[in-house]
Amino acid sequence: MNYQGLSVDQAPPISIPFRFFLSAPIFGIIAGLLILSGSVDELISRYSPLTIAITHAVAIGVLSLTMFGALFQMLPVLAGVSIPKQSLFAKISHSSIIVGLLLMLAGFLSSSKLLLPASLLLGIGFMSTILPMLYAFRKVINITASVRAMITSLIFALLITLMGMHLLASHGLGNFSASHMLFANIHSVWAIFGFAGPLIIGVAFHILPMFYVAPRFKRFCKQKVVWLITFGLILWLILNIALPSYSWIAKAWVAMFFWAFSTTVFLKMRSRRRPTSDVTVYYWISASIFMTLGTFAWVFDDLFDEQYIVLVSILIGGGFIFSIVQGMLYKIVPFLAWFHLNARGYMSIPTLHDMVDRRVAKWQFFLYIFSLIGFIFSFLLPTILPLFALSFMVSMALLEYNLIKIALLYARISKTKPDFDMSAFA
Amino acid sequence: MNIKEFLSQDHSSCDELFASMEDAVAADISSAKEAFVAFRDATERHFQMEERVMFLEFEQKTGMSEGPTAVMRHEHTQMRSLMEDMAKAIEAKDSDKFFGSSETLMILMQQHNMKEEQMLYTMAQQHLSAEAPRIVEMMSSMVVEA
Repeated sequence: MNYQGLSVDQAPPISIPFRFFLSAPIFGIIAGLLILSGSVDELISRYSPLTIAITHAVAIGVLSLTMFGALFQMLPVLAGVSIPKQSLFAKISHSSIIVGLLLMLAGFLSSSKLLLPASLLLGIGFMSTILPMLYAFRKVINITASVRAMITSLIFALLITLMGMHLLASHGLGNFSASHMLFANIHSVWAIFGFAGPLIIGVAFHILPMFYVAPRFKRFCKQKVVWLITFGLILWLILNIALPSYSWIAKAWVAMFFWAFSTTVFLKMRSRRRPTSDVTVYYWISASIFMTLGTFAWVFDDLFDEQYIVLVSILIGGGFIFSIVQGMLYKIVPFLAWFHLNARGYMSIPTLHDMVDRRVAKWQFFLYIFSLIGFIFSFLLPTILPLFALSFMVSMALLEYNLIKIALLYARISKTKPDFDMSAFA
Repeated sequence: MNIKEFLSQDHSSCDELFASMEDAVAADISSAKEAFVAFRDATERHFQMEERVMFLEFEQKTGMSEGPTAVMRHEHTQMRSLMEDMAKAIEAKDSDKFFGSSETLMILMQQHNMKEEQMLYTMAQQHLSAEAPRIVEMMSSMVVEA
């Protein structure tokens, strides 16, 4: 019998999630700089080196880092399992991803020689999170819908990592296989709808009823939706290889469930029982609206030969995944600081409300949404793009400021003497 | 009803009372005391059903008194102290302070509930399935100690 998840000691040290969370907005700022350096002509093509660099600064640097940090934190609580050698794996994963990603960005902007080591390091970085977590799941005693969603998400993460390594190495060697474009397409679709999607859905099953006292998700939704999406993604792969002209059917299938999910999120947030509206509520609601637009745009983009795919990724990657990630950061980071201090015997800790400057958080949110809408309109009016690249960078800087403020508060209080000696509980 | 279902349902009804309490404070903190007391009493009752009945049975059966139940008891203490802060905020009619503590309590409570529902209740149901009807009956008829 595994009791480890219940012990305070098994809650991962705060340095693990913080390391991932605090790095994320920095890559947001880097992505903003890259947008600023480019032109709309260059950015409208998904295969231009600059677009690939920006996409991955966000997808790996912001989104994957945050999701991995959150997984390290949530696995013991949501699934009741502990990850073997979690501190070691977290350090290896975090540092390899950061160095690998910086090499990747530099590689796409200047010398492609850097892309081979980048591919290797990113592979090591992703695998050092994914494999120990998948291994830890073998001990789970109560398989819930959320646990299944997390396992599904990690399996897709494993597959897209292998594909990503191959794609990046091809760029490094300048040697592209005949199926390079097909692989790139599978890599990106599975990353969004196979890795990030199920993880968000699985977490939402818990988070919305719990943190906002929103109505619970229907049993059908919890039991089936992740399977139905997985089926759609595999069907999409098969159709893409065998009958490409019919692949839109599988696309519409997957999109339908994400549309249903975002509508459900919107309705549940509207009928939530908690009256308070903080920035995390705004982020969930905006995510559901952007995702609704994004799913339709993704399906109808097929009629236009995918020429609007970059807009689709702004709507889904930026409007949906990135929004939820930020909403979650505003919930998790202050709570972790409070929880770890309290568990160590500090009683007079600022409340969660005092830790986040709510005015700054609101500004951060509005600037973020303003930038997203601006990016979309920049495709019609290219000259306005730099303005929104700047507002995006400011929004990322404010996010980092909010997070660092909490980390510094934690560090400052940690240095003082606790109100109670908790060593008896250790 | 088994132990897991019984206590999980009680979590949900505490959540409902929590939401009603926040509604009441948001509307007017000076008349929110009743809603706060309803929430606090239900939560205290839930804690005692665990501490004085279910945890004891679990500890006796498994021989683990320093294990998961000790951690859960410790988190109950943390939550009781937050509820005291909320009571003080209501007395002082300071809704900012109230929502600061209630937000903290909410997240602490939810991750606590998740750990219980995910692990402890599942284990308790496995170990105590034969005695489940008696334990549920003891919990529902328990009188809360001040």
